Amino acid sequence: MTLGGFILKNALRNKRRALLSVLSVGVSLFLFITLQVALRELTLPPEDLGSSLRIIVRNKVSLASPLPARQLQVIEKIPGIAAVTPFTFFGGLYKGDEKFTSFAQFAVDPARVKDVIVDAKMDPAEYAAWVADRTLCIVGLDTARRYNLKRGDRMQFTGTFYPCDLDLRIAGFYHGTADDRTVFFHHRYLDEASGNPGTVGCWWALASSAEEAALVTARINEAFANSSAEVRAETERAFQLGFISMWANIKVLIGSICTVVVFTLLLVTVSTMSMAIRERFRELAVLKALGFRRRELLGFILAESFGLSMLGAILGAGGAWLLYRNLDIQKLANGVFLAFEVTPRMLGMAFAIAALLGILSAIAPALSVARTSVVEGLRTLD
Amino acid sequence: MAPPIVSIRDLSKLYRQGDINVTALNAVSLDIELGEFIVLMGPSGSGKSTLLHIIAGIDRPTHGSCRVQDTDVARLNESQLADWRNRNVGFVFQSFNLIPVLTAFENVELPLLLTGLKASRRRQQVTTALHLVGLIDRQHHLPRQLSGGQEQRVAIARALVTDPPLIVADEPTGNLDAKSATDVLEILRSLSQQAGKTVIMVTHDPKAAAYGTRQLHLEKGEIVA
Ligand SMILES: Nc1ncnc2c1ncn2[C@@H]1O[C@H](COP(=O)(O)OP(=O)(O)OP(=O)(O)O)[C@@H](O)[C@H]1O
Ligand SMILES: [Mg+2]
Repeated sequence: MTLGGFILKNALRNKRRALLSVLSVGVSLFLFITLQVALRELTLPPEDLGSSLRIIVRNKVSLASPLPARQLQVIEKIPGIAAVTPFTFFGGLYKGDEKFTSFAQFAVDPARVKDVIVDAKMDPAEYAAWVADRTLCIVGLDTARRYNLKRGDRMQFTGTFYPCDLDLRIAGFYHGTADDRTVFFHHRYLDEASGNPGTVGCWWALASSAEEAALVTARINEAFANSSAEVRAETERAFQLGFISMWANIKVLIGSICTVVVFTLLLVTVSTMSMAIRERFRELAVLKALGFRRRELLGFILAESFGLSMLGAILGAGGAWLLYRNLDIQKLANGVFLAFEVTPRMLGMAFAIAALLGILSAIAPALSVARTSVVEGLRTLD
Repeated sequence: MAPPIVSIRDLSKLYRQGDINVTALNAVSLDIELGEFIVLMGPSGSGKSTLLHIIAGIDRPTHGSCRVQDTDVARLNESQLADWRNRNVGFVFQSFNLIPVLTAFENVELPLLLTGLKASRRRQQVTTALHLVGLIDRQHHLPRQLSGGQEQRVAIARALVTDPPLIVADEPTGNLDAKSATDVLEILRSLSQQAGKTVIMVTHDPKAAAYGTRQLHLEKGEIVA
């Protein structure tokens, strides 16, 4: 027998309790990681270059209020603007879905959108075909894969806040953007289907340089100041961050849940460990009599609690990592989550928490063992 | 004549309980020679266990000194004392106190884990000790698979495996039937007579006391005979 073997035998002497404490650490850390992953996913701003160059121009009143189509000529001429396209959210229900369509459809000017969404990669022939036919659309590769769509397939959408439906055919596919799920179609198609209201949802523009972007937004805002449709222009990044601020409360919520989970876990492991050691008080006194020193007994206790919580971490955090790596989360979460990635930082955090649990739950029993003399310890009943 | 292995001078132990002081030992002086089998007797609460604990280095006196082989035990710090116990004292308790998750062999091996001996050397010593108490065929049994008498013999093997000069036993036969008690007492006697160990045993049983080479009677913390 070695000291390691002795520690192992002690840790496993009550197999059910050992299993339960490993499981409670494991399950809690699994939950912790899941919450962290969801939080990251919800608040992850796109970091591509386009998002700092792109400018979104929307109605100052609200995102839902339309803008007059004639603003195009003014925006085009503003210095520092490289390209601009109408960008109207259709928000229809795709025929393949029953209640909820998780990808967006935008009405754009096909000739102009290519110069605004510069990171989108398309086959030139497909792109040319799309521009030429107003009933065609171009589909993000993620959506195409998810619904198993091919070129020439029909895509039908029922309007939810537009009083019209769409009946489109697929000209081709794009990829390479931060979110390759959107369907783009001709704004003229939407205009005709909705009775030519002469309005657009937003304008999306591209500044000629990142330095210009801030100036350009100011110029756009100024150009429509005191007009019947005042606008708010901001870079896509600022727009996203504004959107994310909506999630701020959720962030706080998830953060507090995580804290509570960890704290509860601490209480559970501390009490389990105290119980496990209390039962062995007399034996520990015997070990002391045989010549084991305080620091050796402390080592036994620490190794046991540390080992159990680390095993829990391997199970919970490792399990989460394995699971989310092999899971088609996009399909399961209906597209709300894209990657659902467990980052090394989260794994590090989970293991740090487990280490802390192991150490903290050893402190109280170790202290009481150190404080008890051999004679006192021998007097305690089993 | 060789110097005594245990030399106690003016030893007192006081317990303070609120306002009242309890005198567990009152100015005890005593010499114990190498190889003696000392039996401590006396009424309950007379201080037998306290005296045994102080000699064995698991308790400290309030006054006086207790030297064991020229070591003033009370002067050692916690960790020196632990080390000293490991090398000099073997413990036998009334309630055996074996570790329930370890086999007989592993229980006996336990004190050797502190010695830095190689595994093969440890095995040799454990085997010898188990032979001595006649339990080599039970070495792989867990304590709960042994009878009380066998458990106590394993405990004796654990006490002598480090080859300490001093064996202390606090009512070692208190929980045993007559036959098992005799076995245990025979082993303790042979340890003192053949192996030259100094054995100090506390007992209430006059039959057990007859195994000793010298009997000491304690009363109210003082040696009366
Ligand atoms: N921790 C303690 N606090 C207070 N008093 C104590 C403590 N330990 C022992 N005593 C007292 O010291 C005295 C001697 O106790 P000790 O255990 O040595 O008696 P004993 O002779 O071994 O008795 P028994 O035969 O019942 O085991 C008793 O009066 C006891 O109450
Ligand atoms: Mg006693």
